[in-house]
Amino acid sequence: MVDFQLDAKGLKCPMPILKAKKVIKKMESGQTFELISDDGGSKADVPPLLNKTGCTLVEMKEDGGVFTFLIKKD
Amino acid sequence: MPKQMNFIVSKNSFEEFGMMVILGTTGAAMETQMNFFFTFWGIFQLKKGYKPGVAGMPFPFKKLGGAMFRKMLKGFGYDDMWEMVKDGVEEGKIKLYPCSMTMDLMRVKKKQLREICEEPVGAAAFLEMCDNADAVISL
Repeated sequence: MVDFQLDAKGLKCPMPILKAKKVIKKMESGQTFELISDDGGSKADVPPLLNKTGCTLVEMKEDGGVFTFLIKKD
Repeated sequence: MPKQMNFIVSKNSFEEFGMMVILGTTGAAMETQMNFFFTFWGIFQLKKGYKPGVAGMPFPFKKLGGAMFRKMLKGFGYDDMWEMVKDGVEEGKIKLYPCSMTMDLMRVKKKQLREICEEPVGAAAFLEMCDNADAVISL
């Protein structure tokens, strides 16, 4: 079970990042967040966002162009 | 100290506007202070109701191109582009500075500019801001 989920499929850069940041702002230390995106740029864009906002990428899965990021707030 | 990036916006095109919105909002989301200095033709970007045309399209299609791009970006999940910027301005992460001399040169009055703008500044004030910036970029 994750604490937050966001399905950002269909959104293109920078919208998955901007919407993800809104979720990250609500997170407390230790909470988890699953972000799903089919924007090809997300693979490169999500890790820098996490670096800058005190989060860790626990896992990233790719399945047929759909990326699933498991994120944890430090 | 948070990172700071300063941008010079000197053109009135949709392309410049789009870069301002995309880089500004993304930088703000990444906790970077994003300052924009609007000078020469760039000042028109800040005028209420101004709809920039696309510089890269041939003359009769510039305005139409702007409407077309806006529609396509809406399909990409974009909200109203000025509303996106407004979020960053309200958080204090995006600051929009009109160039004071340009306003006189282009005969643009402060009341014609969007309320989310900062007070107009001159060259020295912007350059002092750049002393502390990690990057200064001319769009």
